[in-house]
Amino acid sequence: MKLAVISCIHGNYEALNAVLSDIDDCKADEIYCLGDLVGYGPHPNAVVEMIRSLDIPTSQGCWDEDIVEGLNACECSYPSQLAEQRGRLAHEWTNEVIHPEVREYLATLPMTLKKDNLCFVHGSPNSEHEYLLPSMDGFAALERVMSVDADVLFCGHTHVPYVRNLEEATLAVRVKEPGKGERATQLETPVKKIINAGSVGEPRHGRPNATYVIYDTDTMQVELREVPYDYKLTCEAIIDKGLPPIFAWRLARGMEFAERADDPDHVCQR
Amino acid sequence: MRWAILSGIEGNLPAYEAVLEDIKRQREKVDELFVIGDSVGLQGDNEATIKRLRAPKPGELNPQVCIGWWEEQCFCLHGLSGLPDAPELVAKHGVEGAEALWKSVSRESVAWMRSCHFGFFESGCLLIHGSTMGYADELTPETPAIQLCDRLIRADANALFCGRSGRTFECWVTPEKLRSTVTTLDEVQEPKEQGKTPRRVVGVGSVGHEPGQASYALYDSVGDEVTFRTVAYGRSKGFG
Amino acid sequence: MNPTTIIAVAGPPGSGKTTWIRQFLASKNLTAFYCCPGMGEESVDLARIGYCYPSVQVFPEEKTPEVLSNLPDRALVFLELGFHIDVTAPPLSTLPCRRVAVLPPGLENSPQSSEWHEWADEVVAGSEVAPPKSEEMPEVWRTVLSGRVFDAPSLDEISIELTGDAYGKVQRMKGIFELPDGKAFYVDFAAGLSGIEYTELPISRWLNGRPDRFSGIEVTGWNLDKKTIADTLLGSCLPDSAIASYQEQYKAMLANELEEIAQS
Repeated sequence: MKLAVISCIHGNYEALNAVLSDIDDCKADEIYCLGDLVGYGPHPNAVVEMIRSLDIPTSQGCWDEDIVEGLNACECSYPSQLAEQRGRLAHEWTNEVIHPEVREYLATLPMTLKKDNLCFVHGSPNSEHEYLLPSMDGFAALERVMSVDADVLFCGHTHVPYVRNLEEATLAVRVKEPGKGERATQLETPVKKIINAGSVGEPRHGRPNATYVIYDTDTMQVELREVPYDYKLTCEAIIDKGLPPIFAWRLARGMEFAERADDPDHVCQR
Repeated sequence: MRWAILSGIEGNLPAYEAVLEDIKRQREKVDELFVIGDSVGLQGDNEATIKRLRAPKPGELNPQVCIGWWEEQCFCLHGLSGLPDAPELVAKHGVEGAEALWKSVSRESVAWMRSCHFGFFESGCLLIHGSTMGYADELTPETPAIQLCDRLIRADANALFCGRSGRTFECWVTPEKLRSTVTTLDEVQEPKEQGKTPRRVVGVGSVGHEPGQASYALYDSVGDEVTFRTVAYGRSKGFG
Repeated sequence: MNPTTIIAVAGPPGSGKTTWIRQFLASKNLTAFYCCPGMGEESVDLARIGYCYPSVQVFPEEKTPEVLSNLPDRALVFLELGFHIDVTAPPLSTLPCRRVAVLPPGLENSPQSSEWHEWADEVVAGSEVAPPKSEEMPEVWRTVLSGRVFDAPSLDEISIELTGDAYGKVQRMKGIFELPDGKAFYVDFAAGLSGIEYTELPISRWLNGRPDRFSGIEVTGWNLDKKTIADTLLGSCLPDSAIASYQEQYKAMLANELEEIAQS
């Protein structure tokens, strides 16, 4: 079966439409979404309505949570003071325009979705705010996949798509307990994968195109998709709606509006 | 350098006194005393214990104290962090337990506990009540190996000394082998082998939780060696 | 007695006027003077030369007559002329000085770069900056930032945006910025040259409150959205509380390092 996994749409309706057509062309059987439907972009309500009308199973992203719970992102999740100020502006704008029923829907989104040996999260199984970067320690990455008892972990949040294969992991453990002597065990794991779906509406790979992934559950093959769309329409809408024009400038260059945090292991204490 | 690492006094002052005596009796002098959380609890006199920790007698080591699970529960009850009705505490010890804790710790003592560290990082060792994941993270020898490995990576330490489980154990974790291959939109990166040297998680026992029997750990930072001590005290000690 | 030499240096933005002058400033055999006419009492170039070459006497334009009439023996006076200064008008046209034009390679030999050639006694090849695309003269926007301390990642971000033309077409950006670790950096960008250059200035760390020394920025370009640039710059500056807490941390760290050195 072919799954399409999308993430981080951020109120970019044009990009979502283009990706949905591309998914049609690829003849995917099911679509999953990893959250961050809203925030930064000019069409939060339309994006949520589209996701709902297609009944796409969706896990909650940090922006969705913030719109429900009030601004909750810890300061440390912003890489700079400037990014934080811009994040706050975007939050306030979104908070004002969002429809009550959209807010209610966002509140119902689960933190994780599971399907057989696949798990779908926004950031990581620990937190919507944790970044699983490709440079993260391999064993730490493996722990994230195993903590949800999965073989494949789908995540987003970093806005740059990648596939990471973790193979032939061997972990030796030796335990000494007073009165119980010593024992040794060895853990070997089959191939595990982390698949980052990139970002539909706020790409950060240096080009304005939308990104998402197609996964074949039979062959375990992954395809990273990059879909051009008319980003200028979104840029115009950003300016028309009174969002900061710098958002449009960054979108056109494939630079995320608020850049990623540098510390991949950072977990918000909240 | 020799360190004594204690956790879980839980207000049991006689147990703490017995451990201090045991430390004094060590043939090789102990240079540092770490108390890694749960100094208060429901096992005795919290105020007397805090007083004892804050004012060591002449010639005694000055204990370096950090925050544990019970301290966090006090912060909840005083509305300083977490949820004000301390749901974790109520789930474990009932409303009566929460009341008893509330009554047994003064506001001034809570303020002092707030000034304590979350943990200590010394000579490549992290000393912390739970783990860097949080004060409630309970590591035991039964914790999945990959999880122990992850906690060591997060701690960025060769040894992680913790006290949440109250058990004494040494768990060596060796991430022997892992092949990681990353594919991005623009490239397939060369596979990386990610083997590492052994590191360990050490449970330092509990001073005050089990009546009559206190356990703690001694660590020789030069020889990188851990010794566990069990000290009998009070009535269960002998003939009473 | 060696006669005094006055050298007036001109050229388009980013062509390498300051770089050309710098090669003479380190010399110990003479007393160097430096001034950027038209840039007011404080400017990035003036401050930077002052910070990098404490022996060089930097002076504001107003003091020019005074300085020129009291020059010591073996003095070397540099007048760095902004591109917006009319070199053909007095007093520059009448000042007895050697005239050097620093021009991008290619332009240096081309007869079209007329005005400079007519004016200069000597033409020097500078950096490969992009020749201005517009016929219109670019505008210069400057602001003093003394006392402001920047959040480093934000400074990085605004530099990328500014030089990527997010707030208008930028030909040149240079500035002196203070960071919370007490260090000050010279940041330099010229369109056509690769990247933004960050150079730590050889001055002592400022770890006691807001720095009481010059910092500032100069942006040269077209259609500059000055209000947004200013707002974004201010949004990148740290509040008092953050400055204080960073300075405490760095002081503690430096004290620790000293202790470790003392122990070893």
